[in-house]
Amino acid sequence: MPVLKIYFSRFQKMTGLTRETIVDRLPFLGLDIEGEDADAIRIEYNPNRADFSTDYGIARALLGLVGKELGPPEYHVRKGRFSVRVSSSVAHVRPYISCAAATGLRMEDETIRQLISMQEDLHNGIARRRKKAAIGLHNMDVLKPPLSYECRPATFEFTPLGSDRKMSIRQVLGETETGIAYGHILEKAKGYPILSDSAGTVLSLPPIINGSATKVDTSTKNLLVDVTSTDRRIGDEALAIICAALSDAGATVESVEVEYTGERVVTPDLSPTTMKFDETLAKKMVGLDLDHSEMVACLGRSRLGLDKQGYAIIPRYRVDILHPVDLAEEVAIGYGLDKIQPLYPPSKEPGSLDMTNSGLDRISESVAMAGFTETMNFDLVDATSLYSRFSRSPDLRIEVENPRTIEHSILRDSIVPSLMAALARNVQAAYPQRIYEVGRVFLRDGERIAERPRLAALSAHSGSSYSEAKMYLEALLLTHTGEPPQTRPAEHWAFAEGRTAEVFVRGKSVGYIGEVRPSAVAAFGLDVPVSGFEIDLATLH
Amino acid sequence: MSEQDGPPLHPLERKVLEALKGRDWVDFDSVVRDSGLIPDQVRRAVSWLSSKGLIGVQEKTVRELSLKGEPAELLLMQRIGQAGLPMETVRGSFGSNQEFAAALGNARSAGWIEVSQKDGQPFVAPRDRKTAERYETFVASLRGKAIPEDQIAAEYRDYIERLVSRDMAKVDETRSVSLRITTSGDDAISRAASAGWIERITPEVTAKIRLSGTSPKLRPIDVSAAAPGFYAGRRHPVKEFINEVREVYLSMGFVEIAGDSVQPSFWNFDALFTPQDHPARELQDTFYVKGGRDESIQRTGVVAKVASVHESGGATGSKGWRYSWNVEEARRLVLRTHNTALTIRATQESGDREMRVFSVGRVYRNESLDYKHLAELHQMEGVVIGEGLNLRHLMGVLTRFYAKLGMSGVKLWPSFFPYTEPSMQVMVYYEKVGRWLEMGGSGVFRPEVTEPLGVKKPVIAWGCGLERLLMLRLGVQDIRELYNSNLDWLRRRRDIASTQDIL
Repeated sequence: MPVLKIYFSRFQKMTGLTRETIVDRLPFLGLDIEGEDADAIRIEYNPNRADFSTDYGIARALLGLVGKELGPPEYHVRKGRFSVRVSSSVAHVRPYISCAAATGLRMEDETIRQLISMQEDLHNGIARRRKKAAIGLHNMDVLKPPLSYECRPATFEFTPLGSDRKMSIRQVLGETETGIAYGHILEKAKGYPILSDSAGTVLSLPPIINGSATKVDTSTKNLLVDVTSTDRRIGDEALAIICAALSDAGATVESVEVEYTGERVVTPDLSPTTMKFDETLAKKMVGLDLDHSEMVACLGRSRLGLDKQGYAIIPRYRVDILHPVDLAEEVAIGYGLDKIQPLYPPSKEPGSLDMTNSGLDRISESVAMAGFTETMNFDLVDATSLYSRFSRSPDLRIEVENPRTIEHSILRDSIVPSLMAALARNVQAAYPQRIYEVGRVFLRDGERIAERPRLAALSAHSGSSYSEAKMYLEALLLTHTGEPPQTRPAEHWAFAEGRTAEVFVRGKSVGYIGEVRPSAVAAFGLDVPVSGFEIDLATLH
Repeated sequence: MSEQDGPPLHPLERKVLEALKGRDWVDFDSVVRDSGLIPDQVRRAVSWLSSKGLIGVQEKTVRELSLKGEPAELLLMQRIGQAGLPMETVRGSFGSNQEFAAALGNARSAGWIEVSQKDGQPFVAPRDRKTAERYETFVASLRGKAIPEDQIAAEYRDYIERLVSRDMAKVDETRSVSLRITTSGDDAISRAASAGWIERITPEVTAKIRLSGTSPKLRPIDVSAAAPGFYAGRRHPVKEFINEVREVYLSMGFVEIAGDSVQPSFWNFDALFTPQDHPARELQDTFYVKGGRDESIQRTGVVAKVASVHESGGATGSKGWRYSWNVEEARRLVLRTHNTALTIRATQESGDREMRVFSVGRVYRNESLDYKHLAELHQMEGVVIGEGLNLRHLMGVLTRFYAKLGMSGVKLWPSFFPYTEPSMQVMVYYEKVGRWLEMGGSGVFRPEVTEPLGVKKPVIAWGCGLERLLMLRLGVQDIRELYNSNLDWLRRRRDIASTQDIL
């Protein structure tokens, strides 16, 4: 989840609240406090609240929660002088662009840092790592309108941000950090989208990098914001979130006209959206008997409004509200979750435990009673313990995609290797060592996976033998099936030739028993004989 | 045992005392022989007996002289006999010139021989055979056995240094132990004989009891002595805790459900209104089974309804996520990231009847392992379907649940999950550290989740981690310790039921 750093001095100036109130109330907006020091606080927010990507957005919500500012904040857009001509050549790669201008800014270092952090969070969140949308912030004063958004060949040259020389688009994609990271988004494009002004100054190669000429710094007074996208709605939403923050930072937001072939659009749209508010639903969901005016007050503290026709007024930056239940939640948050009293609903019927789980638990209990120590090992294992150490072919392995570590990359089809690995980690502990696991194994079943509950137990000490293993197995199966098992000579990858048997209960094969192969014992770094068995518990009953 | 009985005797002690009875100092080896015990048993008995004052122990260091080689000058004396021999003849008796030179030099400097010229040849003749013979007698006494230094007669003392300095003999120091019974020892053994203590019950003993009606006494033993090491069979602490959690849910009227770890993405994500491009569905967070798919997921019935909710909100009045839903993505097999993949199916199967179900089980996350993260861990998920259920009931259930696990307070903070609204983070108060801990997520299932499943009643749901609570109970700091199968810990740790008071 994204993390944002907020400086107390700046935030207290923005909100007029004490440090104590800030720290105490932020969690009730759904913000997790990650860390706190003398000057600042680090908070984690849920990416669905994209408007929390700057301290401006958080201040706005917090002022509502504490009741200092109620209802939806209003944002105005002044008609601006910029326009963008969109060429049909971008239609196949990144067809939409939404822009806004923000004038009269006073850019402090921290304002720039907040804007850049917001841009990054929006890129990773609603823009899905720049795939759906990409944002550019530019120094407007170096630009000569109108702007043009069109595709250029890979040989087209400009000076990208962070470089002091001209590079071709091909070079930018192959050599710059963002080119390498995001170039795949443009991979199949026939041309590359370039946003430039009438003098040929390049603003950006979306969604990769901005041009160097329009770089923003503390001397920048007027900003131009572009959001290119593959989904116009998401581009507009991102732009609305940015404009609300810029407006809160003291800028005047100005419109930009976007000319598509056969369509003219004016962006940004900062007017609120509406959604029918279901008062009964909200009451039912929160479980509070609130009257209409209390309901309005709760919505107001969540910075929402309610019009006379019963429609909620939702600021454009609240892109997370999809359904009337979302409004019901806003009522609860506005009311204050800490003020809601718990109410236990008594059960009308008795509960019950899962028979399979309870059955497995009984068997596990029996093995422990016989003197074995229960272990719990991971279902995801490594190829070395599962295959190589038993000289077994890994052809039928079930792998997971893109595992973080190879130690956890294959779904095990047997528990014995996990137990051997556990014995190998315990050579310093007192012998005899008798360990077991009641767990799952995974077997291929076409494109699907069959899961089986298994019991495996191993006994390791200088006197461990097939006969000892059989003694325990007979006792266990007698307890759980009412009869001792039959054992017939067999071969198994885990157990030694001549000391392996297949185990049958009432004529049905249930597993294998034997002395672990000497080569495997040595490969796991053990110096004592190991004997044991692995039984399929689903076939037992 | 009355006081005048004195300390009880171990059978080993008794045997040693009997070997010493009526004798003066006896050396250790004799005691071993006479008692019929092995040296180690005698050593143990001696240490117990001497600490009780029943025997005296004398330790002596003995220096023993033993022969390492044969002094060559004695061979020379033997060869020349009474009459003497030409030097060349004598030389022929020695293996090397060097040896001969040493023999000649030593015999000469000891004054045993004289060398003269005879027929123009050097001739060796005895001069003082008596002194040489005395030396020969001494060396002969050392052949084949070591002699304590203090037993060597004064007249021979000079020879010791002579032999040792020429590496013909060595002096070894050995400790010798002698034992003697004390008067209390005499008393103890006679008391033990008259007390009629028996060592253990045998058929002979019980027969005697039945016949005579007597009641023999078992020999008192040292009850504080160490017993041999042993470890009982144990359950795993996570299993113990899972069972405790199951009991708590059972007591609150919940029905337990279980299911597979490998699930089609549909039940793990799509049915829970998680859009197909949601970051939680990406490879870096979630384990997908390579090449695994569930073809039974077809865009019909429930699946079709879920698809249209994603695309446009379906019949729910929602805006939906507004993208084109792909059935292939829903078929991919995933290692469940939460047990809601199971409780959501139970919700569908409920047919909108009131119900409360839970599932405790393993969930999988594509994480690198460190002290607070695992790729496989356990969660306990629950849902309640019921007419009129709301946020207050959700709080009520969670408060009751955690109270039964010994936690004194529950509070909810706003949060976000794609499938619940409202969504809340569950915070639980842990008195011992005096702070609130994050336990998991909760909320009310969104209409986008319940409507396609045909459920009209509100459904409250939650999912909480298990390991964190267990770590607090067991005092474990590093989550990996729970699953590294460390036998020393698994064998010695406290049972979970005994750790309730820790909270």
